[in-house]
Amino acid sequence: MAENSIHVQIVSLRKIYQTRREEIEAIRNVDMAVHEGEFVSILGPSGCGKSTLLMAVGGLLPISGGSIAIDREEVTGPRRDTGVVFQSPVLMPWRTIEKNVLFPIESLGLRIADYQDGAAALLEMTGLDGFADNFPSELSGGMQQRVAICRALIHNPSLLLMDEPFSALDAITRDAMNQELLRIWQEFQKTVLFVTHSIREAVFLSDRVFVMSPRPAVISKIVDIELPRPRTLEIEETPAFNVYVAELREAIEG
Amino acid sequence: MARTDEGGVAAQITSQAVTLAPATAISIAILVLWQVIVVVLKIPEAILPTPTRIFDVMVERHDLLLQHTWPTTVQCIYGFLLAVAVGVGLGIMLAFSRLFRVGVYPLVIAFQVVPKVALAPLFIVWFGLGMTSRVLLAFVIAFFPMVVNTFAGIQSTDPVMIRMARSFSASRWTIFSKIEFPTALPYIFSGLKIGITFAVIGIIVAEFVTAQEGLGYLIVFSEGNVDTPMLMAAIFVLSVVGVILYALIVLLEKLVIRWDVGQQL
Repeated sequence: MAENSIHVQIVSLRKIYQTRREEIEAIRNVDMAVHEGEFVSILGPSGCGKSTLLMAVGGLLPISGGSIAIDREEVTGPRRDTGVVFQSPVLMPWRTIEKNVLFPIESLGLRIADYQDGAAALLEMTGLDGFADNFPSELSGGMQQRVAICRALIHNPSLLLMDEPFSALDAITRDAMNQELLRIWQEFQKTVLFVTHSIREAVFLSDRVFVMSPRPAVISKIVDIELPRPRTLEIEETPAFNVYVAELREAIEG
Repeated sequence: MARTDEGGVAAQITSQAVTLAPATAISIAILVLWQVIVVVLKIPEAILPTPTRIFDVMVERHDLLLQHTWPTTVQCIYGFLLAVAVGVGLGIMLAFSRLFRVGVYPLVIAFQVVPKVALAPLFIVWFGLGMTSRVLLAFVIAFFPMVVNTFAGIQSTDPVMIRMARSFSASRWTIFSKIEFPTALPYIFSGLKIGITFAVIGIIVAEFVTAQEGLGYLIVFSEGNVDTPMLMAAIFVLSVVGVILYALIVLLEKLVIRWDVGQQL
């Protein structure tokens, strides 16, 4: 997909947190270019600043230096063409599943009636049809995170930002969610920026994996994952898959 | 997996009746014991009348009791509503304005240390013996838990939830009305439940002091006449009023808060 135009362009990004005692350099110097429709993972150890990077791309954190551009426009705050999925589902417990999915529509000041069919379609696609009128507390963790994905997609954003969305789920649910995410991505052809600390997850999902070093973060390696698509879980047993895993493990540990 | 609790109202009432059964049995036992002790020990009526005697008074003098129940109830509701408006409003202001937090909150706390009941004579000086003084006393006693609970409830909002809303370009108003306020609602209802019982206390104390009308007035009047059966009948009716007002708030809470607040509070 290298011939596609650049969707997200990060140049010399720097992020410094000011605490009471000291300055913490979370991100030293990151350059990234993500193409349209590409699935890119940012892989790194916990606390390496990869979530910080993602939140900065989402316009949710101010940056200390460099620049982030989406569709060649400088990011100055949250954008309407971006959908974010967080580590926890952060569903509103007082809203039904359907109303949770439609929250971005209200928040963006769009007409709810125009998106109700879309919400129903998303819920059906993620196997949540029949749960529209349930409350979040009645759903399992995996189902709640699927609702969060539907919510991130409801306003049809071109860029999906995902911050370790499946890290709180058990391994079996996580495998299922990864497959589902690929199915959704293939259907909608959105650009996905996916943060994870799981090497296997990154290889399974991505077109390219950016490895981030521990703080202060820089991109230490970029690996193209040239595994065929569509991918199923069986691919994890192939030698090619495990070569990528080994290569990335070395990059993280080295 | 449709929600099934619509069909379960009857079952819910039955299960509540079952839950209340032990308490009801103990209450009846206490009343029987009371009756027996008073009769056997020949305790004078002016000290402790029997439950049946109190019940007789409630039946025979129901018009007098009702006549005094009405102003107590109405003024209690006025004082409570005023406390809700000011308390919740101030709680919201505290959550949003640093100026209010540094400037007003310490004063609210300091004011809470004042025994509010002691203000009753002052209110009479300022507002006379009428309804205004009584409603205001109920208000000043009831409003503190509403302020504190509203403030605490808004502050308990999950910061990630706010970040989520911001990621969808939510305005400050959207964040307040669609996230912070609903988060605070269970807390606010806790405040309302405490507040309504406080409002009843405020009205009764004010009625003791102003001595114009109401169950509080009936209580001190009966005491003056050494009419202990009437005094206790008034206390009983007052308790019933308190329970009904409290139950109305619980009912409203059940109607408004239909989600599971288990993880929230």
